[in-house]
Amino acid sequence: MLEAIGAGGLIAISGCMGDGGDGGDGGDGGDGGDGGDGGDGGDGGDDQQTIQFLTMGVGDNIAEFFEENNAAFEEEYGVTMDFTSVTWDNAQQTVNNRVDGGEAPDVARWPARWIPQLVGKEALVPITDMMEGEFGDQFYQGMADGCTYQGEYYAAPWAASNKCFYYNKDVFEAAGLDPENPQLDTWDDMLSAAQTITEETDTPALGLAGADAIETGSQYYHYHWSHGADLIDDEGQPVVNSDEGVEALSFYSDLHLEHGVTQSSPLSSTRQDIRQLFESGSLGMVIAHVYTGINIDDSDADFDYGIAQVPEGPAGRYSLNTIDGISIFAQTEVEDLARDLLRFYFDEDRHFEYASSKGFMPTVEAVGERDYFQDSENWAPFIEAGQYARARPKLSNFNEFNNRMVQAIQEALGDQKSPQQALDDAQADLEELMQ
Amino acid sequence: MGVAEEYTESPADSRFERGLQYLWKHRQAYLLIAPAAIFLLSVVGWPILETFRLSFYESPSDSTIETYVGFQHYVEIFQSDIFYQLLWQTGRWVLVGVAGKALLGLLIAVHLKGDIKGRKFFRTAFLIPWGIPYAISAVVFRWIEHPQYGYLNAILIKLGVIDQGIGILGNPEIAWLGVVVADIWIGTPFMAIIFLAGLQSIPEELYEAAAIDGAEKWEQFRYITIPQLKSVILIATLLSTIWTFVSFDTIWTMTGGGPINTTSTLVIWIYQVGLQNGNLGRGAAYSVVGFLFLLVFAVIYLRIYTSGGDEL
Repeated sequence: MLEAIGAGGLIAISGCMGDGGDGGDGGDGGDGGDGGDGGDGGDGGDDQQTIQFLTMGVGDNIAEFFEENNAAFEEEYGVTMDFTSVTWDNAQQTVNNRVDGGEAPDVARWPARWIPQLVGKEALVPITDMMEGEFGDQFYQGMADGCTYQGEYYAAPWAASNKCFYYNKDVFEAAGLDPENPQLDTWDDMLSAAQTITEETDTPALGLAGADAIETGSQYYHYHWSHGADLIDDEGQPVVNSDEGVEALSFYSDLHLEHGVTQSSPLSSTRQDIRQLFESGSLGMVIAHVYTGINIDDSDADFDYGIAQVPEGPAGRYSLNTIDGISIFAQTEVEDLARDLLRFYFDEDRHFEYASSKGFMPTVEAVGERDYFQDSENWAPFIEAGQYARARPKLSNFNEFNNRMVQAIQEALGDQKSPQQALDDAQADLEELMQ
Repeated sequence: MGVAEEYTESPADSRFERGLQYLWKHRQAYLLIAPAAIFLLSVVGWPILETFRLSFYESPSDSTIETYVGFQHYVEIFQSDIFYQLLWQTGRWVLVGVAGKALLGLLIAVHLKGDIKGRKFFRTAFLIPWGIPYAISAVVFRWIEHPQYGYLNAILIKLGVIDQGIGILGNPEIAWLGVVVADIWIGTPFMAIIFLAGLQSIPEELYEAAAIDGAEKWEQFRYITIPQLKSVILIATLLSTIWTFVSFDTIWTMTGGGPINTTSTLVIWIYQVGLQNGNLGRGAAYSVVGFLFLLVFAVIYLRIYTSGGDEL
């Protein structure tokens, strides 16, 4: 028997090893490479300092920008740059693992809503002195405020994004709607247009996110907020199942269940799926970032599109706003150099190149006022959307909060529960969570 | 030292000395396995112990402070509905997945053993799914089953079976089937190769004798192939069960455990609770529960296996 237990234990352990390996691979592909690079830099760099710069989601459209500017920084400051990019899926885990493992980068660019979590671990250096001086004056104040927590600045606003409402002009025309005057001011207007498109064309009218992904919450919150509902109250307690919230979720789920105006199977569609569907010309309308338009312009897609503001609900209009910050980590041994890196990347021309290439809103006021942003058909609606901008609440456990909300959205969208029941259950779980 | 002490210590000393003599006699073997043993203890043993320890603590991701909570996580886990849902889904995932892989693997192995044209090509071809990283296979299957672009829907629409694309992975009732199909595709080659090796070790004389006695093909399979393959089948399905139980990549890539947690398993949930939500203590408690389930399964399975006198 003991022999069997021993063998069983070993086999079970080997099973756990397999699991751990899988998870590790999925979570930290970038870390492994990073660690190796760091080691090399240290060995071969004589007395040259190395600065580790971690960022997320560097795609083809911006890789060259970082290559050129990192090389320029290395040359200007006589240092070695250890630059790593990880995918967004792995980003938060990578940062947490590196902080917990005592291998935090010197500088990282990441969503500002993660600040509370890392401040709790005493992992960030406050840069209030910089942000309240000449360096900080260059930013839009609202965006800079998004990088504060408990009265201190823990990041400089690296980039921002608002959402607008894209519509396919060719699809509108085919449905007999006026593409130049799309009448998409309210959710009811949107529903009316979607019903017409569904009746008159074979193209799915509206992209609705419902997959088990963080961004499903991001898409839905436009509806939630504009119906007058909120996620938390002033005391930080969940209030997701208000009458307004139920109304919003009912409207959201009915778009699929009752009106049938969405793409098939929203429950298997992430925000990226519906964006790509729109970018390929196979969708009538979608809420998306500015880079959706840039992607369409840069592709071979042969259709015309328009950009309107996200429709207004009974309680107003909101555009989900995300601010990415760039922070210095407390484990750094090159803090002065890290501050130099921040100043370097916020050079006006450099910031302009980044924002315009990547398709993010500039955070430096002088860059945002350039003609490129003010006059562009792609950018102007997003600049205008700034007045409707609203960020997700800054909670240290927002991921868990959001995951529970996504479950409620899925339950309603999948017709497993009524919107009231789905939100009541979510409220109960969230109350427990927030304790 | 008194007489009584001498009397009581003597056997212990003797055992100790015998132990030392044994170690000295086999020192070369122990020296050779020492590096691997030390490596395993450091990279496997310590994390497992740390997981056990962590499961008794509240360890939020936004704090460096750990609070001892005793068995609180375990009590909450066993009182929660989601745990029993996960148990059912994990059992379903393992049972259907392993059965599918074993049956298909056996079918393929039996045919590959026969004298068919292009046997070498097929043997190599059947290994391909196993050689592709799981996550890539999962992405491919996600696209095959995509409601708008997927080949599966396109074929069904062309055949007139359906009017518009079905979102298999978005349907809470059938999403798990969409994922388990991918898992079976990925895991079948391993089974086929192991079974093929087992089949090739069965003496041909047994089949010849059975044929002379008038046994049909099915009877030969039933009374010669299956009994002769018993040990291979048991060990292959045991390994496959463990791998399927702990598999993460396929489910995570295809559905992320959704919709509405219907494709989630214990392993997916551990990742979500511990790493995604940052509740390390609770995640560790789920890991311990999963570990114990696997341990109990392995012990029972091996008891059954060794009860016939076979040894590993």
